[in-house]
Amino acid sequence: MTTRSSNGRPWTFYALAAFFTLFVLFLYGPMSAIFILSFQGPTGGLTFPMNGVSLNWFKALVVQQRSGDFVGSFSRSIVLAIIVLTITVVISIMAGLAFRYRFRGATAVFYMAIASLIMPGLLLGLGVGLMFQFAHVSPAWFSSALGAQLTWTLPFGLLIMFAVFSRFNRTYEEAARDLGASPWQTLRLVVLPILLPGIIGVALFGFTLSYDEFPRTLIPIGSRNTLPLEIWAMTTDVTSPALYALGTLTTAVSFVVIAVALTSIAVIQRRRARRQRGRTPGLLGDA
Amino acid sequence: MRPQPPGTSRVTLTPYLLVAPLTAVLIVFFGIPLVLVVVVSFFDLDKFDIIPTFVLTNYSELFGSSLTYTLYAKTITYALIVWAITLVIGFTVSYFLVFHVRSVLVQMALFLLCTVPFWTSNVIRMISWIPFLGRHGLFNQSLIAVGITDHPLEFLLFSNFSVVIAYVHLFSLFMIVPIFNSMARIDRAVIEAAVDGGASRARVITDIVIPLSKTGIALGSIFVIALVMGDFFVVKIMSGGQSSSVVAAMSNEIAILQYPPAAANAVCLLIIVMLMVAAIMRLVDVRRELSG
Amino acid sequence: MAASGHIELRSVTKRFDQTLAADDISLTIPHGSYCCLLGPSGCGKTTILRMIAGHEAPTAGDIRIGGESVVGLPPVRRGTAMMFQNYALFPHLTVLDNVAFNLKVRGVGKAERHQRAREVLAQVQLDQFADRMPAQLSGGQQQRVALSRALITKPRVLLLDEPLSALDEFLRLQMRGELRRIQRELGITFVHVTHTQLEAIAVADRVVVMDQGRIEQAASAHEIYTLPATAYVARFMGGQNVLAGTVIAVNGGTATLVDGTGARFATPVKSTAPAKGEEISCCIRRDRVDVEKMRAPSLPLGEATNVLAGTVHAIEYQGAYVKVTIDVPRREQFVANLADHAFLAAPLDIGDAVVARWATEDVHLLTGGSNHVN
Repeated sequence: MTTRSSNGRPWTFYALAAFFTLFVLFLYGPMSAIFILSFQGPTGGLTFPMNGVSLNWFKALVVQQRSGDFVGSFSRSIVLAIIVLTITVVISIMAGLAFRYRFRGATAVFYMAIASLIMPGLLLGLGVGLMFQFAHVSPAWFSSALGAQLTWTLPFGLLIMFAVFSRFNRTYEEAARDLGASPWQTLRLVVLPILLPGIIGVALFGFTLSYDEFPRTLIPIGSRNTLPLEIWAMTTDVTSPALYALGTLTTAVSFVVIAVALTSIAVIQRRRARRQRGRTPGLLGDA
Repeated sequence: MRPQPPGTSRVTLTPYLLVAPLTAVLIVFFGIPLVLVVVVSFFDLDKFDIIPTFVLTNYSELFGSSLTYTLYAKTITYALIVWAITLVIGFTVSYFLVFHVRSVLVQMALFLLCTVPFWTSNVIRMISWIPFLGRHGLFNQSLIAVGITDHPLEFLLFSNFSVVIAYVHLFSLFMIVPIFNSMARIDRAVIEAAVDGGASRARVITDIVIPLSKTGIALGSIFVIALVMGDFFVVKIMSGGQSSSVVAAMSNEIAILQYPPAAANAVCLLIIVMLMVAAIMRLVDVRRELSG
Repeated sequence: MAASGHIELRSVTKRFDQTLAADDISLTIPHGSYCCLLGPSGCGKTTILRMIAGHEAPTAGDIRIGGESVVGLPPVRRGTAMMFQNYALFPHLTVLDNVAFNLKVRGVGKAERHQRAREVLAQVQLDQFADRMPAQLSGGQQQRVALSRALITKPRVLLLDEPLSALDEFLRLQMRGELRRIQRELGITFVHVTHTQLEAIAVADRVVVMDQGRIEQAASAHEIYTLPATAYVARFMGGQNVLAGTVIAVNGGTATLVDGTGARFATPVKSTAPAKGEEISCCIRRDRVDVEKMRAPSLPLGEATNVLAGTVHAIEYQGAYVKVTIDVPRREQFVANLADHAFLAAPLDIGDAVVARWATEDVHLLTGGSNHVN
């Protein structure tokens, strides 16, 4: 018999909870160091101790310094992320719909997507760079880097759509058809709206994976950097806590995007959730 | 793979049209680049110009150099250590979330808590360890303040330790998500039946939970191993330049435009990673899990 | 007639890979009737329903509604509407939008379709729930919404796929009456699939009992229950005991048969009397059987007809009657439904040795069913 404490939980609960807490601290702890240091005083250095508190380094970011073009790379990253998110959503939805059928080559495409995911990013970047070089086309953030990033985001999008479609109850489609909807109407009025949480998930992945993407983008980037590459350039040349300020800012942007996406999913699910006992509901769509 | 969606006739162009964009992107930005890397690995090098021919010098140099083997040994060692640690963490955290957290809402919230860092910049998360583990870093200062030690621990930063810590920090999520997913799908009634039949908790774990989560474990392992094998920046920064990895060496070659040798190294790495992945997939059939 | 909900299945067969879900079925369902397709899981009833709806296509055969062949037509062009087993209410739309869906798909303007949807909802007293989401409704309410959603299309045939199985027992009994009432009011054909025998005979004008892709019997509820055509129907409906044996004599309207254990039964026969030596089956209603304790231990029954001796195996109280299951050696169990006052007057215990008796005129000959029914 397991010994239980007064509220009915075995000792293992407390042990595991402690482990979990340590893990969460492990995840968030170091970032908090950066966060704190970004408010380093003007005379302070890259590590502790703190020499006063200021917004100096945040200001330093906006001023175009010799060590980086932050505003430019930041806006480029955002634009690229939005483009990647749009393309990923559209292509993932289409591919997800395709895989509901049996068709020749399905397994091959599937494995190609998985292989693309597992392949080391730098190598893929190398290949894309070579391709553009042989084609005598200059690489650029909106062409070669975009393509390289898609090889990372599309497989994730595809896997999410698989998970979402497999949980989707086809009876809804039948009901729509029974009520007179054409296949296109069924898709537009029933299937896609019901799958909206999953689609938001794909969009979230598309945006954040692109916004933070580094290995694949490194080689085919062209002449203008995205933000992660600017950061990378700075790390090899770290001279000021401006890097930490940048880290704080970019993390804040990520948090905002995540919060928006997750809140919308939660709101949608709330409205539609049926009361089900004991099952872990799907985060991205339990229709 | 699955029966047709309702209302569709059997023979139709639709799936081919729908999957075309994905296929096109993958072929252009994955397939062709891959082929090019293989092709270039057979090219010759003259100072900084690459010459399109077919030579095996790149490979002979690669296999002839002891550095290659050292690097591979090192990288594989990192991969295995990180895999072991993330496996323990991933399993424990998932187990806690799935079986010990009662409220589904709390479970989701805690799960998100673990996943959110994944969606922020890898580079930033990695370098955030530097001020944390440094001589004057937060960790050492806390240790000293609490009295565990009276001078800062040097090995914490710019060492194998910091490399492994950074890897675990960045990649443990890839282990948690698939394992959590597999565990959450386990029918509680099965566990209750086992407990009813007298199984101890340990028994339940070894006989039920682990076997039923093995697809998740396999998936997570594939991710983590591929990511560590393919890394170049974590090892560079976190070891302070003392250590290197296969891909890090490759990135050096690329930086000085030595594409053919880099490509040969790349092909070699890819084959090794594929073998490792194939070995895992041989043990566990992940196809079913992935294809829904 | 264009508006007619007269349904005709002509030699309809449906094959799924290796399994034959429907085997050469011919059936007529008159316009405006309430027809139940009854049978266990896998008997083909849902397949038939879906073929009438247009969600499955027959492998062979023709289906006609209102006189015109509908095979190959999409559901919406057939004038049919389906109510799905778990209602399939669109979770992302309000109740109002769910009901108005067909109108939206046809391009009806927002104001008009919302108006009409509200009217339909008012008819089932759900108009104040119009702006709620389906998840916020109870099972019974969801069902009424599903019904409204189907009926707004003004179908000539309404197809119901196990409409009551998702409800709890109490609601089920209530909704049964509701469905019947609505069908009578609308005057359209209802085809209702169920595996619950008592439900079928409660609501239907016509019950079609199916097994393994074939029709066992299609007749009125009363006939199915009291005058089953085959042993399968007799056993499935649960109100009968089946007796089988070889004919040893036929005298003026009565045939006597003997079964393997030597027990003798007598059954009335009509003009087409069976011949001596023929194997026949007959049945006796469970509530037409008298049971009493055996006074002397194991008396041989000799030449007695329509008598069985055995021991009480189980006693189940069912309110108005008591179900007594009797073990008879080398035979399937025999069941008697005794009126509760009769049972209380002479109670029985499990293990008692008893004798069951019944009158010859209450016995019914099982003549065998047909797959082609008009």
